[in-house]
Amino acid sequence: MNFDNYRMLDLTTDDPMALTATFASHGWGDGLPLVAPTPDRVETMLSYLGDVDPEEVIATLPPRSGEATRRMIAVNAVLAGCAPQHLPVLISAVRALSAPELNLRGVNATTHCVAPLLIIHGKYASDAGYNGGLGAFGPGNHANASTGRALRLILLHIGGAVPGGGDASTQGGPAKYTYCVAENLDESPWGSYATTKGVDSGSAVTVHCGEAPHNVHDMESSDPAAILDKVASAMCSWGQNNAPISQGEYFITLCPEHAFTCASQGWSRDDIASYLYNKATVNVGEAKQAFALRAWAPWQHALGDADRIAMTEKPDNIKILVVGGPGKHSSIIPSWGMTKSVTVPIMP
Amino acid sequence: MKIYTPEGQLGEPQTSLAPSPTVLAGKRIGILDNTKPNAGLLLARLASRLADRTMAELTITEKKNAALAAPDQVIGNLTKEVEIVLTGSAD
Repeated sequence: MNFDNYRMLDLTTDDPMALTATFASHGWGDGLPLVAPTPDRVETMLSYLGDVDPEEVIATLPPRSGEATRRMIAVNAVLAGCAPQHLPVLISAVRALSAPELNLRGVNATTHCVAPLLIIHGKYASDAGYNGGLGAFGPGNHANASTGRALRLILLHIGGAVPGGGDASTQGGPAKYTYCVAENLDESPWGSYATTKGVDSGSAVTVHCGEAPHNVHDMESSDPAAILDKVASAMCSWGQNNAPISQGEYFITLCPEHAFTCASQGWSRDDIASYLYNKATVNVGEAKQAFALRAWAPWQHALGDADRIAMTEKPDNIKILVVGGPGKHSSIIPSWGMTKSVTVPIMP
Repeated sequence: MKIYTPEGQLGEPQTSLAPSPTVLAGKRIGILDNTKPNAGLLLARLASRLADRTMAELTITEKKNAALAAPDQVIGNLTKEVEIVLTGSAD
């Protein structure tokens, strides 16, 4: 193969620690040991895609304006330890990242701790080994761990989202190492989340740029409202970006048992979102006192100090899906705020 | 052993900076305040000192959201009204 179009490095050893040190000397890597992206490994990864152009630019990623071709995505997938079947998910996720409404420039550059969460939907998730069941957010599953890690490496290397450079995150965050789960369709009473976004595909990936999961614990309730009141309580924390930003989304990842309690009493996804919209509210006067700068919808500015304001401006901003295994812990995943989640079909 | 470097090629940047003027005296300076708590303070102080030194004329403009690009109307007005823009401050 002719490597004239690519920058290559010569290594004298295949020791992973030596590779990691070499990469670190160039400002690359995420601090963890890396797999050497040799031409053979990258070609094996690309051959899984079939008849597609490896040099096609899938997206140009800010702030560095790096070109994410299939080949460069594959290079970073190898570095992260991915298997070839994870590559179509990454390519699709990069497409999602380039959607204007996701605002990747802001996501990468902000002082907030936001990280893109990948949610894999449908048959591809189970076929490629993604975990949506017990312990889905980690650790322990190769597909989840390596795919999420590869996306971070793509943002670091191609996008230039390097701490102190293109990433100004004040504290960083563990979700910036890897952040990937599957939707637990086997135990969901409502079908694939992707279909609610109009993605008519058996398999899809959603990218939601948000915080790490916030736990919601309810061991005892048999009433959907009692469970969801606790979800609403977690949604109302003043420390989230969603508090002063009305367009922020929430992903509510219900565990199967909480979802079953809701669905068995006739609650649909829309019912849950509507209930949470009405219950996750705060006092307007207190909100104004807490935040001098508020990115509110125009109608929200007209509310009086004694009124209550929803934590997000419409029920559609509250996204419901099932993740996890046995037990009664769910999560809310608040947004960074100035971003919209994107769902796309998984395509090479 | 040969390996790929991980960055890939650079594409066209979405925007590029205009060339800096060689003389500031008498220029009109715009301050694009992104409304972060300290951005306006810092930029206004910088602009004030520049104005003292160069007799430049100041215009202060706010954009309402620090996380989004300035609307076309704001950029259009700045283009018409000033020759230099100070912006880009974080918190």
